[in-house]
Parts: sequence; structure tokens; C-alpha cells
Amino acid sequence: MLWNSVYNEFIKITAKPRSYLGLLAITVLVGVILFALKVDGQSMIAFVTSSFEQTLSFQGTLLNGNLVAFIVLQMLIIHIPLLVALVTGDLVSGEAASGTIRMLLTKPISRTQLLLSKFIAGAVYTLCLIIWLGILAVIVGKVLFGNGDLMVLNSDGLVILQEQDVNWRYAGGFAVAFLALLTVSTLSICLSCFSNNSIGPIVVTMAIIILFTIIGTLDVKLFDAIRPYLFTTHMASWRSFFEEPLPLKEIIKSLIILLAHQVILIGLALYHFNKKDITT
Amino acid sequence: MISRLITLILLGCLPVFAAAQDATAILEQMMAKWNRVKDYAVQVNIKSEIPLIKSFPVKATIYFKQKDQFKMLSKGIAILPKQNFNELPKFLRDKNSYTALITGTEVVQTQKTTVLTVLPTDDSGDLVLLKLWIDPKTDLLLKSQSTTRSNGTISAIYEYGSQTTFGLPDKMIFTVEVKKFKIPKGLATDINRTSSSDTGKPSPKNGKITITFADYQLNKGIKDEVFRN
Repeated sequence: MLWNSVYNEFIKITAKPRSYLGLLAITVLVGVILFALKVDGQSMIAFVTSSFEQTLSFQGTLLNGNLVAFIVLQMLIIHIPLLVALVTGDLVSGEAASGTIRMLLTKPISRTQLLLSKFIAGAVYTLCLIIWLGILAVIVGKVLFGNGDLMVLNSDGLVILQEQDVNWRYAGGFAVAFLALLTVSTLSICLSCFSNNSIGPIVVTMAIIILFTIIGTLDVKLFDAIRPYLFTTHMASWRSFFEEPLPLKEIIKSLIILLAHQVILIGLALYHFNKKDITT
Repeated sequence: MISRLITLILLGCLPVFAAAQDATAILEQMMAKWNRVKDYAVQVNIKSEIPLIKSFPVKATIYFKQKDQFKMLSKGIAILPKQNFNELPKFLRDKNSYTALITGTEVVQTQKTTVLTVLPTDDSGDLVLLKLWIDPKTDLLLKSQSTTRSNGTISAIYEYGSQTTFGLPDKMIFTVEVKKFKIPKGLATDINRTSSSDTGKPSPKNGKITITFADYQLNKGIKDEVFRN
């Protein structure tokens, strides 16, 4: 029964035009970035390496598909939560606003199963987005720019990863990015349970992300205690896969915190949805 | 009186002229070995240990053809000193561009070497001073140190093996002065990083680049197309 409900929920997602907005937005944004890098990528690379090139010279193809995919991910992963929340934020509240939730609850399925099916459908949609981003960034990037070693710039300096050592890092990075976006999806569905209009949970989700990101970025001692536990702090953990040596402890810590957020948010949503007096 | 003074000045300058002549002879003998090489292709392994850069050893192929055609083909990203190994022969080949003097003897790699100080004639050039440690018995360059305006001091140790007769090294170890690299913060956007790897220790000032040469293909002819981009 749960899987039938998941299927129904996913059909409903695919029937909404806004669901394709996310895919379209990713396609356009990645297209623009790839075009810009193809036209003027070398000058961007020169800007990154200029400090090093006073003393050293880099030989080989610096601007390649692996670097392009990394740049695309770095630029877009911050904006994708909006695309996720746009769809998942009204999975419950949208039905409440249109009045279909009461009819839905007359089906022989428990409220817990119904809500879980919405969470799973939201997760599948998020997975579709991240897979599409992966195809465009990694596969199309490599087709257009070729393969090669990956040069990653982080605050500690440059890390040059060998070509054969990159694919598994992307797989790991995308898995962590998916988990981070799943937290956003869970948050927006949870908020959706508390609202009867479509737009509210989407806006509140984005407001929370912006607020937490600002708290995470502000170098104020007051926030030091809470910063490591904010899910937004761990949304960039996909980058850890591109460090050498691999900071496994940090990655596991991020996974635990993201999963903990999801469990708490799903639990909160289930509790509220089961107790909720559906009047619309 | 005046003629005595001129004689004294000339006598005083004699050792300098002699040192310059000897230095030129030593350089010519060393370069005679290099000039026997019309072209070569060689497999290299480049290992870089540079502060703030984490990288793995990279394999590449180097192509050289007289007079100064040089090309490195590597599938991966290799890091080399800005003044790499092609610059030195190129500079020394133009005898009008420098003045060389013997400035002493030193032991390098257990070999007694003659130390040559090479001063560029062009004051406005990037190269300020070049020092060469040459083994006078084998006419091999064992160490070099170049001081440039833009890149600081770069020194290189040369180890020989299979191609001693042509003066081509089997191993080169470069030591480069590393200035404090500045990371463009807008591009290093690990904004949510919760821990910093800054240990508080001062970062080393020198980087080391080791290049190991293997499988020299000497004077077998290399087409010009190889050197085109």
C-alpha cells in the first residue's frame, strides 16, 4: 500500500509544471556556466593560479571536464535547495490548499504511511535533480572539455587529484550532496504539514537556509557552539571528498548530523500530521 | 709616472682576465657535451613537494631539439619551477649575454667543483646572478643557482648516470623559494568549514621538485610537428 501511495505521489509531482522548472533551471544554469568556461575559462584558471605562477609553472590541461564539473557543483549546489523546496514544500500544504487532503485521507492508508509516501516521493524527485545535475556537470563537462587531473582550490591551498582518482570522489560527493538536499526536502515537507497554503513552507524553508548559512558564515564566538550542529554547515560537506587525505571523520560527522536532522524532522512531521485536525 | 700607473692597473686586472678566460673555457667544455645532443626524448617522473600544494607524482615525456625547441607532454598536471631546465642552456648558449668568472672551489656530491659566477650583461633582465658548480674532471654541471628579480632564488642539483657523456642528468632536484601564496577567497568557497587545518606552525619557505629521467632516446630525430601547439 505504501509503495502504491509513493507511486501516486510521484505521479502527482510529475504532473505539476513547476517540477520541470527545477530540471530546466539546472539545464540552463549549467549550460551558461559551461559556455562561459569554454569561452573564457583559461582566464579564470589564470586568476586562481596567478599567486603560484610567480614561482612555479603548471604543465598539462588544467581546464578539463573534472574541473568544470567541480566548478559547476560549487556554483549550483547552494542554489538547488530552492528548486527542491519549490516542489517538496507544497506536497502536503498544496493538497490542504486545494482541498484534496481530506479525500486523500479517506483512502485505506494510515496517515503515517501517507506522509511517508510523500517523503519518499520528495526524495525520489531530489534524487532525479541531483542525477540530472551530475549528468550535465560530469558527463557533458567531460565530453566538452576532456578528461584530466582535477585541481581543487580550498582555503588550505591547492590539491591536485589524479584523473583515475576522481570518479569515486564525485560519486561520494554527489551522495553527500543528495543527503544534504534530502534534509532540505524533509524540512520543507515538515513545514508543509504545519501550513495550509502552498507558498508559505517554500519561503520559510529558504528563510531558514539563509539564516543558518549567515550564522554559519559569521565569525562570531556566540555562534561557535551551535554552528557545528546546523544542517547548512554540512551542506558543503561534498567538498570533503576532494581533499587529500580524505577527512573521513568529518564526512561521517556530517552524515550523522544530516541524518539526525532528517529523523527529527520526519518524526516531528509524523507527530503533527497524525494529531492534526484536517478541516480544509 | 703615468706609464707606471697604467702598468700597475693592467697587472692588477690580469687575474680577473685570466679567471674570465678560464671560466669561459670551462663553460665551453661543459656545453660541448650538450651540443653533441641534436635531439632527445625522455620519460620523466615529476614529484613536487611544495607548501600549500598537495599533488601526486606525474609522468611526462620531454622532447628537445636543437637549438631551443622544447616540449613537455603530460596527461596529468605537473608542477615545474618557473625557470625550468631548458632556460639554463638557452641562456649560456648566447656568449654575449653574460660574463663568467671563477669564484672558488667547493665539494658537491663528494666531487670537487669549480664555482663559476655568471653575471648577465643586460642589467634590466630578470636574471640577476647565476652560479654554477662544475666538475672540471668530467665537465659536468653538478649544481646551479639562479637569482631572479621575479622568482627569487632557484637552485638545482644534478645527478648523472646513463647519459654522462652527453651531460644529461638522470635526476634533477630543484629547490624553489616559495613566497606566501595568496588564495583568492572568493573561489575557495568552503564557507561552511567548521575546522581549520591551520596548525599555527610557520609554513616552509622552500619547495622541492624532483625530476627523474629515464629511457633517453638520443639523436634519433624528432619531427618539428611535435613542438607545435
